[in-house]
Amino acid sequence: MTTVTVPVQRDIKAELRRQADEMRRAFTERGTLVVNILSSPGAGKTSLLEATARYWRGKHRMAVLVGDLATDRDAQRLAPHCPVEQLTTGGACHLEIPLVKQGLTKLGSQDFDFLFIENVGNLVCPASHDLAEHVRVVLLSVTEGDDKPGKYPKMFRTSQALVISKTDLLEHVPFSVDAAVQDARKIQPELNVFPVCSLTEDGIEAWCTFLETERNALQSPHSRVDDKKVVTNDG
Amino acid sequence: MHEMSLVRSLLRQVSELLLEHNGDAVKTIHVEMGPLAGVERVLVELAFEQLIEDSLCRGAQLVIDEVPLSAICLECDVEFDIKLFRFVCRDCESQRIRVTGGDEFRLIDVDIEVTSGCEVRT
Repeated sequence: MTTVTVPVQRDIKAELRRQADEMRRAFTERGTLVVNILSSPGAGKTSLLEATARYWRGKHRMAVLVGDLATDRDAQRLAPHCPVEQLTTGGACHLEIPLVKQGLTKLGSQDFDFLFIENVGNLVCPASHDLAEHVRVVLLSVTEGDDKPGKYPKMFRTSQALVISKTDLLEHVPFSVDAAVQDARKIQPELNVFPVCSLTEDGIEAWCTFLETERNALQSPHSRVDDKKVVTNDG
Repeated sequence: MHEMSLVRSLLRQVSELLLEHNGDAVKTIHVEMGPLAGVERVLVELAFEQLIEDSLCRGAQLVIDEVPLSAICLECDVEFDIKLFRFVCRDCESQRIRVTGGDEFRLIDVDIEVTSGCEVRT
């Protein structure tokens, strides 16, 4: 009996990452911008998507895959606005590529301009899973506190945009937008920041314009997606 | 807590290597993790203990190397370790840096026991 050392040297998620890259390329070719939305529970992901769908009514085709541990409540909320599929994870704290593939099959073969993946509410695990998105967005509601970015470095480091939600409550809570943005940009200097109130639709226009610009960049020869990889190398 | 699914994936990959190399048993599984890997060492060890008995890797030892979060500055080319998640260059304070290590949960190598005389592909 002898012992052989087999060298491997690869990320344990390499296979999932390869699948994610392949899916991302396919979406790019079809002109679909995929947006992965992450936050802690109750930060306003679904409300943001409702406001986005209202703003884009008749202008863009959007669809949503929404992940939760249980219930289809979010899908029910979004159903009047756009095609939506609920992904129920059972006990899992985050979405992974196989679940996203299942959801896509259920959505059918129609083309969309924007596909949103509303992840399970959690600022930790979802940060480690590439879901074939072009843009990763982290939501931080003003009721959560402006000291949160530094506590969740992976989430903020791997995101391209930060939506500060529930800004209508700013006058009632000790939250400094500047302090939160400063803290987040220490981790990811290239974060695009969008203060938003989904209920009043304040800030929705800037957010939607950002996504439209990102989608237009899909068609340009120097895709932002490739740039992102060079800069962070940790998504 | 996604360590369970990651360790399950790790054991599946190592089991495939065992079969691929016609091995009899896995002795050691050598992995590497850093501060931005998104995994917690204790939880990985716990998941490993729980999952290994029902896998082909039964009896294998898990060796975990903890590596620092490292980066290279895109302005002045200096290579350095990032401390306290402060993503700025150690020398020139530029924020234009690229993370080069410590952001993954990696399988480094696997020690496999094989019956002598058996040809091994590596």
